[in-house]
Amino acid sequence: MSINLQRAHRERAAMKPRAVESVAGTTMKTVAGAMIVLGAIAFVLALIRGGATIAWEAYLVNLLFFLGVAQGAVVASASFYLTQAKWGGSTPYRLGEAFAPFLWVGFFLFFGLYFGRSLIFPWVTHPIAQKAAWLNTPFLFARDGIGLGVMAAASFAFIRVSRSDGARAWTIATDEIELPPHSIRVFAPLVAVLFAAVYSLIAFDLVMSLAPVWRSTLFGWYFFAGCFWSGLTAMALTAAVLRGRLGENNLFTNPTVMHDFGKMVFAFSVFWIYLLFAQYIVIWYGDLPVETFFIVHRVHHMPWSPLSVACLVLIWLIPFTALMSVRAKKTPVILGTVAGLGLAGMWLERYVLVVPSLSLDAIPFGATQFLISIGFLGAFLISAVPGLNRVAQAATSGEPVGDEAE
Amino acid sequence: MSTIAIISSFADETQCVQAVEELRAAQVGDFNTFSPIPSHKIEHAIGRSKSPVRWLVLAGGISGVLTGLAITIGTTYEWRLNAGGRPLLSWPPFIVICFELMVLLGGIFGFFGVLMLSGVPTTTMAPGYDGRFGEDRFGIVVRCDEAEAARVESMLKESGAEEVVREDEAQPR
Repeated sequence: MSINLQRAHRERAAMKPRAVESVAGTTMKTVAGAMIVLGAIAFVLALIRGGATIAWEAYLVNLLFFLGVAQGAVVASASFYLTQAKWGGSTPYRLGEAFAPFLWVGFFLFFGLYFGRSLIFPWVTHPIAQKAAWLNTPFLFARDGIGLGVMAAASFAFIRVSRSDGARAWTIATDEIELPPHSIRVFAPLVAVLFAAVYSLIAFDLVMSLAPVWRSTLFGWYFFAGCFWSGLTAMALTAAVLRGRLGENNLFTNPTVMHDFGKMVFAFSVFWIYLLFAQYIVIWYGDLPVETFFIVHRVHHMPWSPLSVACLVLIWLIPFTALMSVRAKKTPVILGTVAGLGLAGMWLERYVLVVPSLSLDAIPFGATQFLISIGFLGAFLISAVPGLNRVAQAATSGEPVGDEAE
Repeated sequence: MSTIAIISSFADETQCVQAVEELRAAQVGDFNTFSPIPSHKIEHAIGRSKSPVRWLVLAGGISGVLTGLAITIGTTYEWRLNAGGRPLLSWPPFIVICFELMVLLGGIFGFFGVLMLSGVPTTTMAPGYDGRFGEDRFGIVVRCDEAEAARVESMLKESGAEEVVREDEAQPR
C-alpha cells in the first residue's frame, strides 16, 4: 500500500461519515404502494370503461421504460467490472444493482401484455403472411418471456457474486492490478452480452412489430443503448439526491465521483444520438416509403413532431451543452437536474416510439395514462428500497475511494 | 550571491509530490520536475494552470466545420445535381462531412499544438536532466541562492529523496 493511500485512509478515518443504515423505509414503501394502487385502479377502470387501447399503450410504454432503467443500471455495474472501474469503491456497483428487483416485476408484467395483445400488436388481428412464422402470439411470448427470464436470472446471479466479499474487496483495493474474481469474470460479460441480445429482441418484438412493415437493422442496438443510458442517468440522479440525505462526507460529496457520473451521462448521451443519426441517415439516403414513414410520422407529423424534438433536446442537447464543463459535472444540482430531465426525455422517447404506431393523429395522454405511469413508478420505487439502503451503507461506510489525491 | 542548481531524485511518486508541495510552500527558488510517467499528481502539485491547447483544438474544430460547410455547399452549387428530388442543400450528409473534418482538424491542431507548446522536438536537454528520469526515477531540479541551498537540500531529503546533489558535483549519465 503506498504512502499516499495510507494517508488517504487516515484522513478518511478521521472524517469518517456517520454510517447510514437506511434511506428508504416505511414512508417510501407507503407512498410507492399508494402509487401502485392508483395505477392499478386507473388501469382497471380504463379496461371497464372502454379505454382499453389507451391503457395498454401506457402499460407497454412504462414496461419498456422501467425495465430498461432497471436492466441498464445492472449492465452498468457489469460494465464497471469489465472496465475494472475502481473510481468509487463498491458504491457505484451497489447503485447499479439497486433497481434490479424490478427485473422480476417486469418479467411478470410482460406476460400481462398477452391479454392486451389484440389491441397492441396490429399483426394479431391482421396477420402478415410473409412474417407469420416470426410474428405470431405463442412464439413471441415464448421467446421474449424466456429472454427476459434468462436475463433476470443472469442479472441476479451476477449481483450475488458482485456482492460477495471477494468482489467487494477487489473494488476497494485501489493499489492492485489484479483482475476481479473468477466468478465475476464469468457473469459480468454474460450479463453484457445477454443484454445486447435480449434487448434487441425486445426492441424488435415490442416496438418495431407495432409497425410490422417497418424495419431498421440498427434499431435493437439503438434501443438498448437508450436503456443503458437511462440506467446511468437513474444512477446519477440517485447519487445527486442521496448526496444531501446521507450526512457529511458520504461518497457522493466527493467531487471526483460526481465528475465520473457526469462523464458517463455525457458520453452515452452522445452515443445515443450517434446511433439515432446512424439509422436516420441510412433511411434518408434510401428514401424508401416503407422505411421513411416511421420517421415522417414522428418528426414531420403533428401532433408528434414537437415531442420528437423534445426527446432530442432532453436526451442529447441539454446533457451535451450543460455537462460539457468539468465544474457542471461536479455540481450535483446541475448533474441531478440534467439526469432527471434526461430520464423524462427517455420516457418520452419510448412513448414516441410506441404510441404513434397505434394512435397516429392524436396524443392519447390523459389522466389514465398518467396514473398508469405513476403506478409503474411506484412499483419501480418499491423494488428499489432494499437496494437503496445498500447504497446508503456503502456510501457512508468509509471505504477508500479510488485515487483520492487526484 | 550566486545561483546554484540542486538535483534530487525520488523513487516514489508520492514523495516527489510531497517535495514539490513543500518547495512551493517555502517559496525558494524555482524548480523543474521530471517524471518517467505522465503523473496527474505531480501536475496537480505544481499547480500549473490548464493548458491552452484546448483553445487550439477548439479553433481547429471550428475551422473543420467551416471547411466542411464550404466544401459541401460549394460543390453542391458548383454541380447542381438532382438526387432523387431532394432539396439541393440537404443537411443530413453535410453533417457527416462537417463532423469528420471537425474531428480531423481538431486532432491535427491538438497534435501540433502539444508539440509546439511543449517545445518538442528540442536538441538541448533541460538543465539538470538525468537519464534515470526517463527510466524509473522522479527528479526535481531546484535553482536557488547559494545561501538557501542547505535548507532546500534538507527539505528534499526529508521528503524522501534518494539522492541530493549540487549540479557541479553531479555525474551526468
